[in-house]
Amino acid sequence: MSAITVDPAPRSSRYGLRQACRAERAKLLSIRSTWWTLSVTIIGTLVVTALSTSGAAHQRPGWYQGFDPTNQSMSGLAIGALAIGVLGALVFTSEYGSGTIRSSMAAMPRRLTFLVAKLLVAGSLALAIGEVLTFSCFALGHVILGSSPVPSWNLTDPGVLRAVIGSGIAIGCLGLIGAAIGAAVRRTAGAIGSYVALLFLLPLVLAKVPGNLARFTPLIIIANSLAAVRLQRGWVSPAVGFALLACYTVAIIILGSVVVTRRDP
Amino acid sequence: MGSVISVNSLTKQFGNARAVSNLSFEVAPGVVTGFLGPNGSGKSTTMRMIMGLDTPTSGEALVNGRPYTKLNWPLREVGALLDAKAFHPARTAYGHLRCLAYSNDVPLTRVDEVLEIVGLTDVANRRAGKFSLGMGQRLGIAGALLGDPGVLLFDEPVNGLDPEGIRWVRNLLRGLAAEGRAVFVSSHLISEMALTAERLVVIGRGALIADTTVRDFTALNGGDAVRVVAPDVESFVAAVRRAGGEVDPASDEAVSVRGMTSAAVGELIAREGLVVHELTPTRASLEDAFMELTRDTVEYRSGVSTKSSLVGTGEERDL
Repeated sequence: MSAITVDPAPRSSRYGLRQACRAERAKLLSIRSTWWTLSVTIIGTLVVTALSTSGAAHQRPGWYQGFDPTNQSMSGLAIGALAIGVLGALVFTSEYGSGTIRSSMAAMPRRLTFLVAKLLVAGSLALAIGEVLTFSCFALGHVILGSSPVPSWNLTDPGVLRAVIGSGIAIGCLGLIGAAIGAAVRRTAGAIGSYVALLFLLPLVLAKVPGNLARFTPLIIIANSLAAVRLQRGWVSPAVGFALLACYTVAIIILGSVVVTRRDP
Repeated sequence: MGSVISVNSLTKQFGNARAVSNLSFEVAPGVVTGFLGPNGSGKSTTMRMIMGLDTPTSGEALVNGRPYTKLNWPLREVGALLDAKAFHPARTAYGHLRCLAYSNDVPLTRVDEVLEIVGLTDVANRRAGKFSLGMGQRLGIAGALLGDPGVLLFDEPVNGLDPEGIRWVRNLLRGLAAEGRAVFVSSHLISEMALTAERLVVIGRGALIADTTVRDFTALNGGDAVRVVAPDVESFVAAVRRAGGEVDPASDEAVSVRGMTSAAVGELIAREGLVVHELTPTRASLEDAFMELTRDTVEYRSGVSTKSSLVGTGEERDL
């Protein structure tokens, strides 16, 4: 055995969120699947935005009555929303699936600290990616729709910056929701299935019942409230949409925390 | 120094099954303490409760006087190898250890050191998923040593290792104890424990069977024996009995002599002018004692005797 070289007196009196976040960031960025998922998120989103805005670029002038070019540019976020949830879920499920969870919890036995660190790291990455996506989508839409008869629009126009930044924040929330579902469900397939059901299937099911309950579901809030500049009738306002999305995120995080702290790994 | 691991009335219930039952024992620094029991006897569950991974149904496990979850820098106080594959297959050996190091403010130079200690320096940047079971075991040991802790737990550390690796682990554990650390190592192989450990905690079906030293355990349960094969067994047995030894029949031609050293048996044979075909000192009594003690507590048992397949002899294991 070598001589003792581990610093006997660390700066803090005990490990905490700072150490846990550093470890979690290193974990997330040191596996290839993270980079694959991020690439798919960005490419998929931009491709769908490109297709959707191209389709809208060459219509008769009358078609643009009430057209919302910002909202049209954000249509690729449906792909981004799916991919970011998968990325979030993997933050937990890959640890449970591989057995890494045991060495992680031996190193960081305070489970709430561990969970919060993971959520902070996953959430901030999802938020950063979300803003990159929404601003890129906006720029791409601007280029593609630039040659069309759409009246010019800018980030400085009322509601545009709010829609672009707000949609990015929403992607950050979806990353957190994916991660919290991963913490609660533990298995990759189950977590992704639950996430897809919440985002994509729930609005379809709710569309069959009267009352347009689908407008309260996360993806519909993002598509028709947060990413919209010209708000259509029948959808919730951006402020209400944000409040609802925040509530969903917090509720699912609480569920994940209860499972992580109560159920042994 | 007092004990550093203190297990008090620890109980774990999984549904209707009681995995660990009112278990109490202490682990002291400076020695290797073997944790012995048949497969499924609750060794791993006990270790997981010591590590805060499983919550006890009742009772408590303390490390340095505190529950594991209350330790300030867990990796600097306790190192553990709980199972061979507690890492992400896509992460490199270095990457895995780096993440652990960050979590407890361990300097990254220490990562290189532990990789060197376990002999994985050359494959440090290879993905751990490509590792053999033995290499995975070494990576787990590297993780246990990372924080240079005073308390070490190893759950079946020689599983999947080749003879050279088994010897390496044995020397490593003894070396760690000689440095004053507490080393607590589980095994279902009594012969391995006889070679590595000084103290023994023996459990069966989650309950304590013995808490003793290897020497006392052996002495208490018959001591060493000498196996003798002779064409005229009856004359040999009579001679041994006259000399004050005890004899257990092993087969038609072989017997096991207790209470006499192999030298004394040899001299007796020469004195009596007997013919023998084989004379072998054995430590089988230790295994017999273990089998005897745990006979009623083995959870899963085949219809036939499991004696030879389960334990083997000390001589066979010491390759």
